[in-house]
Amino acid sequence: MTKNILRRDVLVGVAASAVTLAASNKTAAAKTPRTHDIVIKSFTFEPQSVTVQVGDTIRWTNEDLAPHTATASEAGWDTGELAKGQSATILVTHGMQTSYFCAFHPHMKGTIEVV
Amino acid sequence: MKKFLTGIAVAGMLFATQALANDPAELSDVEIAHVAYTADNLDIRYAHLALAKSKNPEIHKFAKTMIRDHEAVNEQALALLKKLGAEAKDNFLSQKLNRDGDAIIAKFSALSGAEFDRAYAENELAYHKAVNALVGEVFIPNIENPEVKALFEEGLKIFKAHEAHAEMMVKALK
Repeated sequence: MTKNILRRDVLVGVAASAVTLAASNKTAAAKTPRTHDIVIKSFTFEPQSVTVQVGDTIRWTNEDLAPHTATASEAGWDTGELAKGQSATILVTHGMQTSYFCAFHPHMKGTIEVV
Repeated sequence: MKKFLTGIAVAGMLFATQALANDPAELSDVEIAHVAYTADNLDIRYAHLALAKSKNPEIHKFAKTMIRDHEAVNEQALALLKKLGAEAKDNFLSQKLNRDGDAIIAKFSALSGAEFDRAYAENELAYHKAVNALVGEVFIPNIENPEVKALFEEGLKIFKAHEAHAEMMVKALK
């Protein structure tokens, strides 16, 4: 019986440690800047909307044959021309413009939500 | 199996004067590749004319996109032909496209200002509509090589985007 109780306590202890570790990792992850990938495919930005934090990076990769850009609607930032297979990154900053489009194909639109 | 009837219907829209012996649905893969390359180059020529004649910034943006995208498609098409050890083959449809294109360029060269802009935009819309119907309904179902077919499917996505863009431009210029 004692043996069983001890065994159970050890298991609970291990589980609790795992939860603590996971929570601690989560906190660390929230503080670490992330890279958010957006794929340009079939004349769309996928995902079309991305939620980011200041300090994160957004990386666009063009999988289309046609060259594209990701360009802020009010010209605040621009990836420049991306040929097939090319990528470009933009650092998320305070007050950055959050709606963007492809300068070559203006019907292609995307949005960034900064939280 | 070649889609003979579909070929006649679409060709009828584009090339009403052609005899039935000249059926786009009967073209081989290397002949289809030649038509596509010719059609791309023709649109690049229209775009260069627009850059030379128009003062409208939106027309310039569109024309530059046509040059950029059609050159990208042509580059891929040439690379694929090289990989396959094949050579594009001239045919009645490529020749017809070139003749019609020469006539359109001669006509547009005499226009200027808003008149040119409208004519260019309307031609881009009509041209992409016609070519997209030909590619989607006749060429893609009849292409035998899977890699060539895949390239045409990719190209069709681009040309459909151009058609939508041209439609926006035509509306804006009215």
